[in-house]
Amino acid sequence: MQLENGRYGRAIGAGVHCAGGAVAAWAEVAVAGSADIQITELTVSDHACLTFGEPEELLDLTAAFVRDGLVDGLKVIWLGGGTPAQAVAELARRGIAVEPAVASGQMTAAAWEGSLLSRQAFTADRAMAWLTAQMTACRGEGFAGLRVAVDMSWALRPLTGIEQLPQFEEDLAAALTGTTAAVLCQYDRERFDPVTLASVAAFHTRSVAAATYHADALLRICRQYAPPGIRLAGEIDYQAEEPLALALAEAIRLDEDITINMAALAFIDASAARMIADAVRSLEGSRKIVLQCHPAIAARFTLLGADALPGVSLVIAHDR
Amino acid sequence: MTADPHRQPQAPQTSLAANAATAAGPDVPHTDATPVLTQDFGAGSLYALRAAVAAHAAQAGVPEPRARDIVLAVHELAANAIRHGGGHGRLLITDHGGTLRCQVTDDGQPPAAQAGARPQTEATTADDAPWPSEHGHGLWVVHQIADHLSVQSGPGGTTATASFTLRSPRQEPA
Repeated sequence: MQLENGRYGRAIGAGVHCAGGAVAAWAEVAVAGSADIQITELTVSDHACLTFGEPEELLDLTAAFVRDGLVDGLKVIWLGGGTPAQAVAELARRGIAVEPAVASGQMTAAAWEGSLLSRQAFTADRAMAWLTAQMTACRGEGFAGLRVAVDMSWALRPLTGIEQLPQFEEDLAAALTGTTAAVLCQYDRERFDPVTLASVAAFHTRSVAAATYHADALLRICRQYAPPGIRLAGEIDYQAEEPLALALAEAIRLDEDITINMAALAFIDASAARMIADAVRSLEGSRKIVLQCHPAIAARFTLLGADALPGVSLVIAHDR
Repeated sequence: MTADPHRQPQAPQTSLAANAATAAGPDVPHTDATPVLTQDFGAGSLYALRAAVAAHAAQAGVPEPRARDIVLAVHELAANAIRHGGGHGRLLITDHGGTLRCQVTDDGQPPAAQAGARPQTEATTADDAPWPSEHGHGLWVVHQIADHLSVQSGPGGTTATASFTLRSPRQEPA
C-alpha cells in the first residue's frame, strides 16, 4: 500500500456550519482573533489547539495530520494513550500505511510516559526538554520539519504537576516560534472544563475542529478527513435533509474519492438513504465511493440498488 | 346479504391498497387482536416513536433484522402522516396471532398550502445539491419490507397499515 498522495492535503476549509450544543460550548473559548481552520491547513511552526467531541473525531483528525506530514516529508510523532502498535493499526484502518515510515524513523508513535510524563508525574520543564530534544534530533536526521500530535487526555488524570499545564503550553508557543516544528494539542471538549480550555487556548496560534454540519443529541454530521468524506453518527431521517445535502455537496466538491462513514449510524430513513444514493448516482461512476455501515443500514442501500452502482463499494462495518 | 360480491362497491384505494378487512393478511382473522402499542406522534417525537416500536418489538420476541424493518416501516408511515396529514398522527400496533399490524392514521387535514410547500424548500435550501428527496418514496420502501401494506384515504384522513408476519427467533435463520 502507498500513502495517499497530497491532493487531499490542502482542501479549502468548510468551517463550522451548525452550532449544536457542543460546538457552541467550544465557540466560547475559541482562540481570540482566529476562526477554526481545517486540519489540512496547518503549516510549520503552528501551535494548534484541536478540540474534539468523540474518539472517532480525534482519530480521524490525527490521521489526517499524520498523513499530510508524511506526504510533506516531515518527521511525525504521535503521543497518545494507546500503544504504538494500536496507533499504527488505527492509521491502517483509515487507509494510511505507516509501516515504511515507522521502519525508516520518519514516523513515531509513543506513549505519554517517557515523553511528557515521568513515573506518572508531569513537569513543564521535563516535557519541554523532551520536545526540544526531538526538534534537535529531527534537524540532525535531515527532515524538513517536525509534526507532533499530542493527545492531552493525560491531563485529565489525577497526576502531580497538572497545574503546570498552562505553563507548558506557554513555553511550547515560545519554543515553536520561527522553527519548522508544529505541535497539535488535542483536547476533549466534553471532558476538559471550560476554564482550563480557555486558559490554554490563548497560547495557541490556531484553533482546529472538524467541519460540523449538524450536531445534537440524536445526530452528528461532520466532515471526515482520513479517508476524506463525511461521517454520520446517531439516527438520521428526512428532518436532516438540509445539512446532509450540504455535507454531501461539499464532500463531492472537495475530494475525488469519498467515504461515507456510517459505522456509528443506528437508523436511516428512506429519504436520507435515497439522498445519499442519488448523490452517489450523480457521480456516474467517475469516482470511487465507499459506503461504510452496519448490516442493518447496508440493507437499506442494497434495497435502493446503491451497492450495484459503478464505483460504489459497500463496506460492512462491525463493532470495534 | 344477498348481494353479488362482484358488484359490491369498492372503497377508494391507492394502487397499494387492499380491502381493510384483510389488512393484516388474508389468513389472519380480524377479531383476536391483542393491543401492543398505541402512541401519538408529531415531527418532534419521531425518535421517541421509533424507540417505543423497537422496545415493543424486542419484547414481543421479534428477531433483530425484522424488528428494524418494523421500526423503519412505522417511521415512514408516520413521516408521511406528518408531512401530508396535518403534522401529527397516531400509531396502533396490534398482534393478530403472530402477525403484527402497524396502523398509522392522521387527522385528515389533507396537505394544504403549508404541507405542499415543503418539497419546494428542500430544492432551494440544498443549494447546489441536485438530489431533493422525493416524498412518497417512503411508501415504496414500506411496500418492499412489509408483508402487506394498505393505504386508504378519505375525508376523515388517511390510514396506512403495514403487516409483518413473525416467526419465533428460533425459527429465524441466523
